[in-house]
Amino acid sequence: MTMVPSASVDGRVAVPDAAHGAPRADSRSRPRGAPGAGGDRVAAAVLLAPNVIGFSLFLGVPIGASLVLSLFDADGFGAYDFVGLANYGRMLGDPLFGQSLLVTCLYVLGMVPGVFIASLGLALLVNARLPLRGLFRAAFFLPHVVSLVVIGLVWRFLLVDKVGVVNQVLEPIGLGGISFLGDSRYALATVLAVSIWFYMGYYMIIFLAGLNDIPSEYYDAAKVDGASAFGMFRHITWPLLRPTSFFVLVVSTVAAVSGAQAFDLIYVMTQGGPANATSLGMFYIYQQAFQFNNYGYASAMSATVVLSLVIVTGALFAVTRAGRFDDE
Amino acid sequence: MSLSPPSSSPSHPSRRAVLSGLGATAAAAALPGCGPETSDRSSAALSFWQFFAPRGASAAQNEWFDRLVTQWNQNNEAQVRLQFVPNSQYVGGPKLQTAFSAEDGPDVFVVSPGDFLRYSNGGVLEDLSPHMTPEAREDFYPDLLASRAVDEAIYALPMGGGPMAMYYSVPAFEQAGLSEGDIPATWDQLLDVADKLTTDEQFGLVVDTSPTYYQNFTFYPFLWMAGGGIPGHQNPQGDFDSQGAVAALTLWQEMIESGVAPRTLLGESGSDIVSNLGSGYCAMQNAGMWGVSALAAGSPDLEYGVFRLPVPDDGEYVTATGGWAFAANARGRDPDAAARFCVWALGSMDEESIGRVASWCLEAQSYLPYRRSATEHATQQGFFDDGPMRTFRDEIFPGALGEPRLPSEMNKLISDAIQACQLTGKDPAEVAGTAQEGMENLLAAYDGAPLA
Repeated sequence: MTMVPSASVDGRVAVPDAAHGAPRADSRSRPRGAPGAGGDRVAAAVLLAPNVIGFSLFLGVPIGASLVLSLFDADGFGAYDFVGLANYGRMLGDPLFGQSLLVTCLYVLGMVPGVFIASLGLALLVNARLPLRGLFRAAFFLPHVVSLVVIGLVWRFLLVDKVGVVNQVLEPIGLGGISFLGDSRYALATVLAVSIWFYMGYYMIIFLAGLNDIPSEYYDAAKVDGASAFGMFRHITWPLLRPTSFFVLVVSTVAAVSGAQAFDLIYVMTQGGPANATSLGMFYIYQQAFQFNNYGYASAMSATVVLSLVIVTGALFAVTRAGRFDDE
Repeated sequence: MSLSPPSSSPSHPSRRAVLSGLGATAAAAALPGCGPETSDRSSAALSFWQFFAPRGASAAQNEWFDRLVTQWNQNNEAQVRLQFVPNSQYVGGPKLQTAFSAEDGPDVFVVSPGDFLRYSNGGVLEDLSPHMTPEAREDFYPDLLASRAVDEAIYALPMGGGPMAMYYSVPAFEQAGLSEGDIPATWDQLLDVADKLTTDEQFGLVVDTSPTYYQNFTFYPFLWMAGGGIPGHQNPQGDFDSQGAVAALTLWQEMIESGVAPRTLLGESGSDIVSNLGSGYCAMQNAGMWGVSALAAGSPDLEYGVFRLPVPDDGEYVTATGGWAFAANARGRDPDAAARFCVWALGSMDEESIGRVASWCLEAQSYLPYRRSATEHATQQGFFDDGPMRTFRDEIFPGALGEPRLPSEMNKLISDAIQACQLTGKDPAEVAGTAQEGMENLLAAYDGAPLA
């Protein structure tokens, strides 16, 4: 999906419609009812069909099934008792669910800005004319090609108490005694740091694509006018990168709230511990479903998480006017 | 818990069938990729899921399972096929559970007491007792069979078990100027000796710190020795908010806060004795009898010893013993054949079956047989003549109680209590009281097989 500005032949910057992923200049180029419009609609339908079918089959139907299941007491062995909204009521009195929501909020508040700043910073760094630039790009992206389970295992080994490499390195400055994964004060921050380290290369590539689509003429003109590096970033890069920023913001928020970016790490590194300090909502849902066999309750919690995602994403779209920054 | 009646109309899908489909779909959506890789329904052979063979880490265990299945298949029409499931997916993972949810569970599988009630209450365990002779039934130690039985029905047959004990590194003791005479007998001595063994590169002691029901299992001996217990659990009687439970939680807290035990461990968990004791990460480790074979394979040069778990000042020695058991799927393709296989393998009075149990416990694994005949057979073969195996049989096993079988949510309450005291420094008395209240509420609503 192209989500970045691109220069048109006449030199103007066509900013894509972030909500639909297609440059709006194209969609506006032919009036409704004009010859060929019907053909475009057919083409659009054909091109969109695989995505719509895939979404319906693999997301829409399971989400619907999960919603139905949330109204039942289901034990995973074929017993189903209709309980109405009891599973939703149960959440209100479940302190572990409350705690998992708190952990999720902290994770989102750390992950989204953290990965945004880190990946944008890396993209700016490797976009500059540096020697071995390609090598740096590859190096920063490299963690992302490794299985998250392997990443978790390696970091768990590096972070083990007392003899772990990280503790050994920190020992001279008096921090060698910290238990990064075994102390509830540091465990979530540690998982967060590993998550950011893992994903920053991926989002760096997206930012890099956005940066490369900004016409160099703008920077040339700014240099002629004597603009500083910060001035060019503030007045050229940042505004023209906003659709890309919006995309990164939405995708990283959705991934962080749903726990998709952290489940494997937490499963391998902490099992939700110590004392539930890293038990994200998704991990607690997993425990309820697959360890306690409370499929109905787990589905109700999933529905709640999905609802919160809809609200958060909706708020993001509202605040940014669906990413239409160029309408300012 | 209620099971919906089967549909009487063949022409319309039943509510249960529809909901089963929805459930399976939702489960698949919740965790893609965790379902079985292939459908065993398409295969004629009975599937046997476990984490030992055919591609397990131990050649001896691979061979034992291979021989077992080969012998069965040569003499029976119903064939059995081994399917290896990685331990991480089996014990704590969703693979087995999602397979049953999709009504595609294995015909034969292994189950531990910690997970027994989940499958028993789910109605997927086939009664093995009709295939057992009274003599064979009496051959099992009754207390250790009880956690796999409900009333007169036997739903799983244990392969053997490994009581918990304390291993120690002889070189670490010597470097600290300690000898066999310093082996701790009480909790106070345990902390004191662990402190002496702690160095810049080594912890004095390792107990499990991961929030799993394995950690609970390793904690039970300390709980019981101090006089604490689990509400609803038949043996021993006791409560979790008792002084004994508070004392046990306090001990585990002191181990961490005094710095003699780590918060994070090397390897898979506290059961991984090679990665911790074997590597020199710790000088003493709380682990089960399986550690003997694990150290022989993974750290053959390590000189080590083993001793009974220390007791509190006024306590009486108790340890816990668990172990995996064969179970047959009551909703599988051929539950009768699967049950016959389990009994033939581990619960028959044939010499072959007795020898097989002894062979598993003493050659493929280091376990104590839960059958008198197999223990006798192993003794005659000289397996207990000396070393740690003899210590386990003569000193550690007497006084062992079977691992409690508890509902998963109760395991979670106990785990949360241990974790809160051990790793966050919360007040043990307060934590124990909260856990007790939670367990009582849970039991009030519990409707399943009795806790044993």
